[in-house]
Order: sequence, then structure tokens, then C-alpha cells
Amino acid sequence: MDGSVRLDEVVMRFGDFTAIEKTSLAIGSGEFFSFLGPSGCGKTTLLNIVSGFLVPSEGQVYIGDEPMAGVPVNRRPTAMIFQNLALFPLMTVFENIEFGLEVRGVDKRKRREVSERLLALVALEGSGPKMVTELSGGQKQRVAIARALAVEPRVLLLDEPLSALDLKLRQHMRTELKAIQRKTGITFIYITHDQGEALNMSDRVAVMSAGRIQQVADPMTLYRQPATGFVAAFVGENNRLQARVIDCEGERVRLDGGALGELAGRASGSARLSNGEAAVLFVRPEHLRPVEPQASGPKLEGEIEAVHFEGAWVMLETRLVASGEKLRVQLGHELSRSQANTLSVGQRLVFGFDPADAVVLPDDGSPVVDEETGEVVEGRPAAAGGAHV
Amino acid sequence: MFRQLRARFGGPLAMAIVTLLGIWLIVMVTLPQLQMIEYSLRPNLLPAQIGGPDDRLTLANYATLFNNDIHRTIFFKTIWSSVLVTLLTLAVSYPLAWYLAKVATPRQAALCILLLIIPFWINEILRTYSWFIILAFRGPLNEVLMMLGLIDRPIRFLSGNGGVMVGMVYAYILFMVFPVYNAIESLDDNQVRAARDLGAGTVRTHRRIVIPHAKPGIATGCIMTFMLAAGSYAVPALLGSPGSRWFTQIIYNWFFEGGNWNQGAAYAFLLLVLCIGFMSLIMKVFKVGLGDIGK
Repeated sequence: MDGSVRLDEVVMRFGDFTAIEKTSLAIGSGEFFSFLGPSGCGKTTLLNIVSGFLVPSEGQVYIGDEPMAGVPVNRRPTAMIFQNLALFPLMTVFENIEFGLEVRGVDKRKRREVSERLLALVALEGSGPKMVTELSGGQKQRVAIARALAVEPRVLLLDEPLSALDLKLRQHMRTELKAIQRKTGITFIYITHDQGEALNMSDRVAVMSAGRIQQVADPMTLYRQPATGFVAAFVGENNRLQARVIDCEGERVRLDGGALGELAGRASGSARLSNGEAAVLFVRPEHLRPVEPQASGPKLEGEIEAVHFEGAWVMLETRLVASGEKLRVQLGHELSRSQANTLSVGQRLVFGFDPADAVVLPDDGSPVVDEETGEVVEGRPAAAGGAHV
Repeated sequence: MFRQLRARFGGPLAMAIVTLLGIWLIVMVTLPQLQMIEYSLRPNLLPAQIGGPDDRLTLANYATLFNNDIHRTIFFKTIWSSVLVTLLTLAVSYPLAWYLAKVATPRQAALCILLLIIPFWINEILRTYSWFIILAFRGPLNEVLMMLGLIDRPIRFLSGNGGVMVGMVYAYILFMVFPVYNAIESLDDNQVRAARDLGAGTVRTHRRIVIPHAKPGIATGCIMTFMLAAGSYAVPALLGSPGSRWFTQIIYNWFFEGGNWNQGAAYAFLLLVLCIGFMSLIMKVFKVGLGDIGK
């Protein structure tokens, strides 16, 4: 059972609007692969192209090396789990799960065997005769998974299936989805705008923006080695500091931060940085820590504007004294109890970071995107440390 | 209801509205019906005999139908033909409703609905006459068919049931299309997509997903079409032949040609009882309640 999926130069246009720019991609059989991106980035369109609901304007989709052109939805070896689940409300749990088998002419006894087995897999034994409308959100979710698995798809397509659940249940279902994927060995293609889901479950993630795949990598690499400014800003949280390259020495880049003084970071992505070029330094809040003003290495002085106590850590919203830019700092275990009590709005602190943890990328002008809503929350910072001339 | 009206319009106006509504229902609807029941239970007498010894309550008028072979045949033929009209109308309307609700763009749907409605701005009699012209022995339909070489000599569309069927399907199509359209429209597109995705073809998707969902709408459409068809007068009168007489024509004859209102009223009530029976049956078969139909 070859569940590999290959997109070969796929383009999707709706009238004048190009929803998917030319995209080629190979997803391995049995892989848990996620498309991560803000709403409107084209990820659902890609999913619909794989499932057959949309026919690409150009290019070809292969599943298990078979071209899918001309193969209608109901003949593809894929099954979809819809965002709203789309369970059949007038049918029982059994009838829902067995629908795909009924269509294939499987006899009643065999059907019941399969649905009992799948109900056990999703931990819903005994719920078969219930109407789906009687189930809770999490149970419906499980029925949707069982219904899709019943047709023994080679590829399971999941369109933000957890977005309707509450936080606790969502986290629980993540673990379960991953376990089901491992048990069944089916290729999972998962669509989400929630980076937590994508990073947590996936073998590999494709980050998408405006119809283009920005980077395809395993979650750790995405986090550590973002290829573009969009990925750096979208995956995890990042502070964005505009700067200019002074020189590069291997991976290490020295930067002129304008009013912020000399900064340093690690080159990421494939684009070469040339001396004097405008660049963006991304420093994650968790990589910043308070240091003595005399300490060596890059330093940023910020004035605290808000203190958010989150239990395991404290999130500080500060404004850089030198440039007026925002800087978010996450203080965790390194923060002593006495320090935590003295943090107050208006206080000035100096933060340092290890240049190996900060990433330098060419300034591609990519906007900062809100990770929850997927909306652009901040354009290019206007006065960015003298980097704009 | 009164409380809501009072909250909206104030006490006196609310009272006036409710009173007018009550008068309307009692004087214009209920009393005439009761009077008709009364008529139907009395023999048809000369004015001089009214109030005399012969003027007593009797079921004789109702018994007439069962003693008259021709009338009884026409009665059951009317039921059967109305069922046929209903099924034909459903067969024509379902694909149309599906197209309007799920396939057409909003613009196409609006245009299509407009085209459906425009003919209904014209009086039913005139619309029916236009079919009379179209279907006539030397009418345009026969001319076109002959010109195309499909037939050698004109067909008598208007003899037998054909003309009546066509005319009625056309006359009542909107009463079927709109309830079915409303029902299908409320179906989540993902339900259809999910069925397709799980391997169902077009027929099975409709049979298992769309039709069960649209059932209340289909039942509403069928009930309305059947009632209108069974109670129709103009279409069978204009497009029918002597062989396709409708029961309503018999009722009409009793009233206005026979001058026997008592007999006519009894026949009218039998038709009413029949329609209510049919409605209940349909609702039972489709397992829908009165509440579903109101939706």
C-alpha cells in the first residue's frame, strides 16, 4: 500500500487570482505531514486538490505514483476529515462509519465487524447504535476519524479537524491522532493554522504563505533554522530587529543595529548575506535573559510596559530604550523568586542573548503575522534602528 | 400572540388587530364552512317544502357518490391523477431545486427563479389557455414537431389525460420547487462532499444524504401540489377532454347546473376529507410532523 503523494508543478488559479503558485512537493508513504499557514494561504486549496474536489489549473497530483488526473473524488484512495466533521446527522454511529463500505457493496456482517474494530481503535466501544447528534464534540471527532479510516484510505486528509474542540480536548486528541497514525501507518496530511498542532504531531511541516510554500522541514529545523522571515515570524514567537550586515564569519553574522549598537546572530536560510545589506535579526523571547550592563555580547535595554505572569514563566512586554521598538521577553527558571517580585512597569532592564540562538535573515519585508488569527498584525516597523535609509 | 402584539402596537391597536382577525376567521372562513356542512346534510327541496316534514338531516347526499358508478370512478380517478401530477411535479422540480440550491451561482439562481416566477404574474386561466393553444391539434407544438420530421401527422395532445397533466405540472411547479429548494439549501455542502469522498456516486449521494435531509420540504411540496391538483378546476375544464373529467367539475355541475347545492356540498366535503386523509398519509410515510412542514 503506497501512500506517497507527489505534487508536480501544481498551479491553482481562480479567475485572475492565483491561489497556489507553482508547487512541487513529495510526501512519503506513512508520513505525518502538515501544511501550516494563516487563513487564506492556500493550504485548504492544496488539500482539495489532493482529495479531488478541485482540479489544478496546471500540474499533476500523484498518489502512490499513479497520476490522479481524471480520477474523481469518489474513486481516489484518499479520505477526508472535514473541519466541521460533516457527520451524517440522520444516521447512527454505525451507519456513519459503515457508509463508505456500504457504497463499496461490503456485506452487512463484514461492515459491522469493521466498524466495531474501528470503534475500539478510537475508544468508543458500545456507541455504535447511538445517533451522532447525541455525542459530545470529542466523540464526534472520533467517529469522523473512524468513518474516514473505514474505507482504508492510503492517504488521510485532515482539514483543521481539531479547531472546534476546547483546549484540553484538543491537546488530548493530538496525542491520539499521532498514535492512530502510527498504528495504521497511513499517510496523514494535516492542515492547520495552529503551529502547536503542526510542530507537535508532524514528521514534516510545510509552512505556507500567500499560495507559496515557504519552507518544508521537520519541526525542529523549522524552529531553529527558519528559511524565510515569514517562517521565523510565524513559527514560534520572535522579536524582529531591523539591522544591517557588517560582516559574516562562517555562520556568525555581525550586525549594525543602528541605535541599538552592534548586534550578532546566526545566518539561517539559503540566501547569502552580503556586507552592508539590510537584514532582520530574530530573537525569540525565551532566548533573552537579564544581564549586567557591563556583560559582553549583544545587549538590549528595555523598559517594562507590562508583566504577564503565566505560571511556569513570566512574559515581559518591553520597549527598547534606544529605538522604541517592542521587545517581548520570556523569563523562566533563570528568574529567581526575589527578582520576580521586583518586576514592575517602568523598570529598565538590560537583556542579553547568545548570538547562536538568534537568526539573521535578509530583509524580505515579510509582515508579522498573528499566530492565532493568522492576520497581519504589524507591517514593517517604521523606525527600525536606522536600517531604513 | 396577543402579548407580543400589545408590546409592539399598544393595547387598543392590538385588540383591534386580534378582533379583526377573529371576525375574518369566524365570518369568512368558519361560518360558511359550517353552513356548507349543514347544506350537505339536508335534502334538496323546493322553497315551499323547506321547514316541512321532508326537511330533516340525512346522509343521503353522501351516499349518492357511492351509488353512482360514474361519479365514483371520476372521484377515484381524480385521486389517482392528482397523485400522478404530484409525482410528475416532484420529478421535474427536484433536479431544478437541486440546481438552484447547490449548483448555480447566486446570479444564475436569481435569474432562474425570476424566470420561473414571471409567468405567474399572469392569471391562471390565461396561462392555461396558452397551453391550450400550444397543445392544440393545429397548434405550434405539432407544427414544430412536424417541421422537424419527428411526427407525420399532428397528435391529439388534448384528448385523454396528457394535456391536463402538462397543464397541472406547469401550474403548480412553484409550490413544489420552493419548499424542496429551501430544504436542499439548508443542507451543509460538506455533507455532500463527505459522501462523495467516501465513494458514493451521484444517485447514492442523493438517495442517502440529500433526499433524507430534504424530506420535510418534499412532503410539503407534495401535499400542496396534491391539494391544488385535486381541487383544481380551470386546468381540467380547459385542457381536459370528456374522458378526463375532474371531480371538481362534478361538484361545479351540482352547484351551478344541477342547482343542487346540498348534493354539491356533500361532494365537496368528501373531496376535503380525502385531501386531509392523503395529507396525513404522506406525513406518515415521510415521517414528518406538522411542525416540520411549517419550517
